[in-house]
Amino acid sequence: MMGCERMETDGMRYLDGEMSLQEKSEFEKHLDSCRACREAVAQMNRLGILTRGVVIKDPRDSFWDGYWKSIYRRIERKTAWIFILLGGILIILYELYRAVRDMGELTISKIAIILLLTGLAILLASVVRERIHQRKVDRYRDIKR
Amino acid sequence: MERTTEISRETLLEWKKGNVRAFEEIVTVTRQRAYSFALGLVGNSEDARDLSQEAFIAAHNARKSFDADKPFFPWFYRILRNRCLNFIRSRARKREISMDILIEKASTEASPDTSMIRKENAEALWKGLFALSEEHREVMVLRCFYDLSYREISETLVISEGTVMSRLFYARKALYGILKDRFDESQMEGDDA
Repeated sequence: MMGCERMETDGMRYLDGEMSLQEKSEFEKHLDSCRACREAVAQMNRLGILTRGVVIKDPRDSFWDGYWKSIYRRIERKTAWIFILLGGILIILYELYRAVRDMGELTISKIAIILLLTGLAILLASVVRERIHQRKVDRYRDIKR
Repeated sequence: MERTTEISRETLLEWKKGNVRAFEEIVTVTRQRAYSFALGLVGNSEDARDLSQEAFIAAHNARKSFDADKPFFPWFYRILRNRCLNFIRSRARKREISMDILIEKASTEASPDTSMIRKENAEALWKGLFALSEEHREVMVLRCFYDLSYREISETLVISEGTVMSRLFYARKALYGILKDRFDESQMEGDDA
């Protein structure tokens, strides 16, 4: 199938109605003298009959129920998580500061609380740092046309 | 499917400032097209819906880099396309493509046998499209099912019109090869387009 190089360019434009009348007429003259293009056009026209006879089914209206709400919730949730994480880090750091300030006599339970709060602060800070890093390397951030 | 996806510059500027209502308007106007294009890439309704939603969220997060003087959809389509291609290449389990996506354009009077043949042709065509590479399937879907011009496809995919033609040529060539048996006269019964 398709032994003439014109098929890849002019042939496609001819089949897809992308030619001016003059170009179309000129290509039809070429078709008269080029068997390879004639056969290729005939084959692709048959394929065209198949594709033109069908459409992609549109979903029912109910399909769109909740479509926007789901997007909105996820946008909203992202903001909420940022606030929660930042708030959590601040609270933990403040409690840690108070624990160290009012330390008095060091007991096992005080050490455990300090360790726990320090661990939580590191964990939350790591999540925030990861978020910021993800944002920096996000392939969609700098998409421009 | 609606082709008018005009979004005013004011709406786009409002959205860039972070106005969620403006974004809702953008989503409402473009969601059908986004879903349909995703469907042409991933092949089933559920994934197409999820991926189009994810793409809208990604677009919202990247809104500051969008140029409001340019049309929204080609910019958005690149995000959607990346999501879909990443999904196709990374999905652990291969989900079956839905086979009831293509339907007859116009329901004409036809015998049960002819209807069955047409249904089988539509299924074979859809299946055949998914035997093509993503790049070839994409141009076929944009051209044959959404009737985009070469210029529109070129702008949407950020490729030259020459590349559009070339991809269409090889896509059609491959698809013809896949569906060759279907082009037996008896198989094309009822088609007069």
